[in-house]
Amino acid sequence: MKKIISSVILSISLFASCTKLEVTPSSFITKENFFKTQDDAIASITSVYAALNIDPSDQSLFGRNLYFLTDMGSDYAAAGASAINPNVRAISGLTHDANTDRVQVAWRQVFNAINRANVAIDNIPKVQASESIKARLINEAKFIRALVYFHAVRLWGGVPLVLHEPTSIDIESLKIGRATVDEVYAQIIKDLTDAENLPAAFSGSDLGRATSGAAKSLLAKVYLTRKEWTKASAKAKEVISGNFGYDLFQNFADVFNKTKKNGKEHIFSVQFEPNQAGNGSSGSTFMRTSFNGFGVTEPADIISDVKLFYDIYEPGDTRRDITYAKYLLNPANGQVFTFPKPIFRKYLDTTNYANGANVAINFPLIRYADVLLTLAEALNETGAPNAEAYEALNKVRRRAFGKPLNTPDVAVDYANLTQSAFREAIYEERKKEFVQEGQRWFDLVRWGRLVSEIKKVPAKSGVSDRNILYPIPQSERNINPEGLPQNPGY
Amino acid sequence: MKFSTFLWILIFIISNKNSISAQDSGPVINSRLNGKIIDSKTKETLPGASIQIKGTTHGVVSDADGNFYFQTGQKLPYNLVVNYIGYESKEILVENDYITISLEEEIKQLTELIVVGYGSQRKKDITGSVASVPKENLDQISPSVDNLLRGAIPGVQVTQSSGQPGASSSVRIRGGNSITGGNEPLYVIDGVLVYNDNNNGSTGLSFSGAGANVLATINPSDIENIEVLKDASATAIYGSRGANGVIIITTKKGNRGANTVSYQTYYGIQEVSKKLNLLNAADWATLRNDIQTSIGQTPSFTAAQIDALKTSGNYDWQSAAFRKAPVQNHQLSFSGGDEHSRYAISANYFGQKGVIIGSDFNRTAIRANYEKDISDRFKFGLNSTASNSTINGINSNSGSAALVAPNTLAGVLLTPPVVPIYNADGSFNVTQNPYFAAVNGYIQNPIADLNAVTNKTKLNRVLSSLFAEYGLLPGLTARVTANGDLINTKQNYYAPSFTTNGASNKGYAAVGSKFVQSWLSENTLNYNKTFTPNHQISLLGGYTYQYTKGELSNAGATNFVNDINKFNALQDGVAVKPFSDAFESVLSSWLFRTNYTLLNRYNFTISARADGSSRFGSASRWGYFPSAGISWNISEENFIKNLNHLSDAKLRLSVGSTGNQEIADYLSLASLGSVNYSFGGNIFTGFSPTRLSNPNLKWEKTTQYNAGLDVGLFERRISIVFDAYYKKTSDLLVNVPVPLTSGYTSVLQNIGAVENKGIELGITTENTKAQSLSWKTNFVFSANRNKVLEIGNGVQQFFPNVPSGVLQLQQPILVKVGQPLGTFWGYKTNGVFQNIEEISKSPTLNGIANTKPGDRKFQDINGDGKISAANDKTYLGSAQPKFIASVSNIFNYKGIDLNISFQGVYGNKIFNALNQQLEIPTLGNNAAGALADHWTTANPSNEIPRAASSPATVVSDRYIEDGSFVRLKTLTLGYTFPKSFYSKVKNLKIYASAQNLLTWTKYSGYDPEISSYEQSNLLPGIDYGAYPNARTITLGFNLSF
Repeated sequence: MKKIISSVILSISLFASCTKLEVTPSSFITKENFFKTQDDAIASITSVYAALNIDPSDQSLFGRNLYFLTDMGSDYAAAGASAINPNVRAISGLTHDANTDRVQVAWRQVFNAINRANVAIDNIPKVQASESIKARLINEAKFIRALVYFHAVRLWGGVPLVLHEPTSIDIESLKIGRATVDEVYAQIIKDLTDAENLPAAFSGSDLGRATSGAAKSLLAKVYLTRKEWTKASAKAKEVISGNFGYDLFQNFADVFNKTKKNGKEHIFSVQFEPNQAGNGSSGSTFMRTSFNGFGVTEPADIISDVKLFYDIYEPGDTRRDITYAKYLLNPANGQVFTFPKPIFRKYLDTTNYANGANVAINFPLIRYADVLLTLAEALNETGAPNAEAYEALNKVRRRAFGKPLNTPDVAVDYANLTQSAFREAIYEERKKEFVQEGQRWFDLVRWGRLVSEIKKVPAKSGVSDRNILYPIPQSERNINPEGLPQNPGY
Repeated sequence: MKFSTFLWILIFIISNKNSISAQDSGPVINSRLNGKIIDSKTKETLPGASIQIKGTTHGVVSDADGNFYFQTGQKLPYNLVVNYIGYESKEILVENDYITISLEEEIKQLTELIVVGYGSQRKKDITGSVASVPKENLDQISPSVDNLLRGAIPGVQVTQSSGQPGASSSVRIRGGNSITGGNEPLYVIDGVLVYNDNNNGSTGLSFSGAGANVLATINPSDIENIEVLKDASATAIYGSRGANGVIIITTKKGNRGANTVSYQTYYGIQEVSKKLNLLNAADWATLRNDIQTSIGQTPSFTAAQIDALKTSGNYDWQSAAFRKAPVQNHQLSFSGGDEHSRYAISANYFGQKGVIIGSDFNRTAIRANYEKDISDRFKFGLNSTASNSTINGINSNSGSAALVAPNTLAGVLLTPPVVPIYNADGSFNVTQNPYFAAVNGYIQNPIADLNAVTNKTKLNRVLSSLFAEYGLLPGLTARVTANGDLINTKQNYYAPSFTTNGASNKGYAAVGSKFVQSWLSENTLNYNKTFTPNHQISLLGGYTYQYTKGELSNAGATNFVNDINKFNALQDGVAVKPFSDAFESVLSSWLFRTNYTLLNRYNFTISARADGSSRFGSASRWGYFPSAGISWNISEENFIKNLNHLSDAKLRLSVGSTGNQEIADYLSLASLGSVNYSFGGNIFTGFSPTRLSNPNLKWEKTTQYNAGLDVGLFERRISIVFDAYYKKTSDLLVNVPVPLTSGYTSVLQNIGAVENKGIELGITTENTKAQSLSWKTNFVFSANRNKVLEIGNGVQQFFPNVPSGVLQLQQPILVKVGQPLGTFWGYKTNGVFQNIEEISKSPTLNGIANTKPGDRKFQDINGDGKISAANDKTYLGSAQPKFIASVSNIFNYKGIDLNISFQGVYGNKIFNALNQQLEIPTLGNNAAGALADHWTTANPSNEIPRAASSPATVVSDRYIEDGSFVRLKTLTLGYTFPKSFYSKVKNLKIYASAQNLLTWTKYSGYDPEISSYEQSNLLPGIDYGAYPNARTITLGFNLSF
């Protein structure tokens, strides 16, 4: 009997001894296993880029979500009948508040990108890899961090300046208050200055990475926004006269041609490739939301006022029919379909109507035309427009009309304008050039014309002075009310 | 698996030892005993009673004439324990070699033996809140176990979340404790601990519909009894898994001495009890014209065309989706035993078609239960079931953002009534719908989808429990069990190129498989001792170890040349990204319980369990769960014994803590996730952190206080069980929102608290007790109040994510401190704007510029002259019922039995998201019938807004409806033929039954008993095209011989 008891006890204790509560995950990578090799470092940078256009739980940052703030919240774009989100309609009508989900999602996506960059910047130094590769990768991360912070500081003003990954889940350590606008810009300029050391160009399977030229172009835009005109024009000139090989496409349509990706005009584009965001999705939702099939129901993203924004293109301006489609050929029946209202078409892949979420058209975040117009604007603001300013502006204009880029053409060239007329000319060109490119709202704010321009659109009469900034998301302020004072008017 | 090896060795050792000792004691015969068992009243002999010599495992069974015989090494006198179902157990001292034992029919409930965790106890001695499902409920027709619990026990709420055959329901015992962790109770099926996680039946394919109910793999006809453990005194022995309550299911074991073959069958017809009122063709055309006018388009229907639609050209899509669907069940079982063994073997086939075409559920199950006494001291047994279930579900459209309809049913309702369902040749119309943008030439035809889309889940499950029990010393028993639960799931999906989900992909095929295995070893020692009649003690101690491992994979392909091979030839299409995953968990536990009964009156229970789980952070794997309970049998006190009408009275008090570990594996570890980006047109994989590590992640802890009173009156013809409880769950596993500037949205932490408090009342009365007519009433009432006490990090509220495109934006549910879980949050409506003056004077939702006469008015709750989400959304009600109740009446008259059961839920709200969707006027979808009466200048409705083309909508009180209902859940009329009717037949019963025959409710959707988000505790009470419950009429018979 004792034997039995002892065998029971023995076996129970044996069970106990083989009890091991540690299980090793076999289907995901833990932090301890990562940041060892060069491949790890590269994969970490890949995820930093991916933060720009892939979000499994929402529309991605540059795949459309930022568009609500930078375009639909401006004058020319509006929410159509298919826009099912009341928050989007609120932005379109400028009635949004701190609970507007698009603002919160943009904030989340911005700081997700910043955190990924921080993770890379903090951890890549300890990876076993060549120092030059490590330096390059860190500078790529700094470029993205600066790019995203530049958007954030313009959208919200002084945002929290987070420069390292979180190391603890302690809530107090995660609460970070707002920095000043100047502090944020100082960091942006610092990061971009580092990123100027990036290679001038990449090729093959590295096309699309941030380059030295991209950093300089962005820096020019930063200085322009800061109204540091000389610095802005100097940086723009570095891009134009540096050995980067940038130029305008002769054909405006090529900017949005999926076969001309990462071409000479594309200084930095967010890369879209079918299925990269998962099955059947490239991370862009622009096509699906601007084109609702050959039917009569309005898409979700529409032009707010045909007269103010479509009819303004002069005869011969090729940009109108690349930017908007009034007619399209329906491949199903071979007939031309006329839309009740012109639809946006820059991101419409007319060879691939069935898979609207799986498009391959890049989002051109910084393109040469923008650098030229940055130069023109900066030069003009330092005094009267000079020849360099005219040439920069007219090049963009000549291309729009299909004229040779470098040959002066009196039919389209601007000449003999006063400083303010030249300014108006730039404003007009930018309005026609950068539809759906995430520029309009920033331009209007930079020019101090946000309220007056938007007011011209009847459905957007709710605009007021508060709209020069977006509200800090309420959910964020619920956690850290002291550190995150709200912007005025919200 | 080391531990199972040890287990086998252990069993071997014990059985060896035992066979030796059996040989030692075998030949010695010290006494012989002949006896007979009779009914004390009728004096009829009782075959099949079990007679055991007390303190041994030596037992025999009375034969067909009620006789039994012992020859044993025990010397007379000794005590016999006699058990017979339906009679009171009896303990009797035997001094001579012949005895007649008369048994009394069981009436005194408090002496019933109740199955509790790791053993059984006399009901009289129990200190906790434990209830059994009445036998009448177990006899009801049901596709699965969870259904049997419905309305059976106070404090248990069962919600059939989807009427889809084979789909899940959610079970809540005393309310939901957890915000993000699981809230389903723990099931103990013949000793195997099973958490009813529907994930076990899902391989993660997109598009698949309602979750497969893995509990439906268990055949309900095999169930002998179900006990529900509710308070901490009862559940703490299950420690980390006891917080949501425990449901102990015991399957039929066979009776000694009586071999029985029985066949049970029923056949029924189900149909949906209600159809929704939708626009007919003429009304739809009128509405569309009005919408077009409002946006400046030319109306597309002329008055003549609309007139013509009144007589022809109206297509009723809704009716085409529903059908009268058969349900049938066949069960063949063999059971019986002799003095050394018992067996029960059954085979079952259950087949149910769904009331929506294209959906069904089939189950084939076999069970074998066997128990053998090797000797007086040693017995072993096996309880094993194997089943195969197949579910064909309706499609969800979750994978396709372009579709407004959340699933095919909603798609059916939204299709315009002017669009033909079929072509002239009888084939499906998949090309002609001028109001829908064709994709690759195909329009949506949801009826074709229901017919042609394959959405199949096959579940194979083997649930087996092997036990060996050995009496080490008088009163001391060792028990070792080895349990295995294997669930193997395969899912097949195919959407042909002409269906909604297939069109853009030119055919979409996917397969998924999942294999989950769970092994459990339990080793317990049990000691029972009656020192003097005044002191009884029992002790239980043990060690258990559970290991679970799962693997899953799924793969898909698109762009098929034709639809012939469906999902069986993925290689013929273009591959989509595959997915595979694996998980593993370990739970290691020590348990202890002691019961002490003093003077047959005062009972004390103390239990404790220590659980170590691999799911939690390295710093906090072990949790300790103690409980204590006392009960006082007041009726045994002399001062009360003389009270005439009081037959029983017992007061119970308990306190204890239990835990919840139902979160996914590995969540304490920092993980990296993959994400792609392309350079130069080539896609590369990147890795980024997706989760911060939390080494302190630990159990959710629920502390529960319970006070109960059990009263029997008038010779126990009225028995009352009353309980009041308070539960506080703290250290909640919550995805706590963290500042988004961290780069993360939330971190899983133990933070926050939820309380549940409530009362429960169960009353059973025997209203008449004449020889020929008996009438019994069961009344069950429970009221639970749930409240979120704390969320953590100073956060006062958050909107849980609703996994559906449209509802995600609307955020209908708010988790808010001070409010219950399932709080609906939105705007209050205030009629309709009648004119421009009214608009200019009023706060508007979309700004004055975008508001027109005929738009809905919303209330400016804070009075700041603006309608804003922050200030003007408000409390619109809760999905938590104020109380639930049920009343069953069971009549028996000369073999005729009648069971009438009503069930009711009061005071809960339902968000009728389907109706919200149907009330959105659009150019391309059908709409609710109410829209025929929409606002126009000529028809200034103050209820239905104007016809506009604007699908954006906000959550408002218009769609938060009263979900209260009373329903005639069961009406069963049966006839049992008298024993004299046919000599060889033991029992023959025929019956007719109706389920869900009548429902009284104000709810305007299909059925008030609904939840689109199934087991989710965060998103209860949302009806977004959930599969409606059916009304069923059944005929059946039970035959045994």
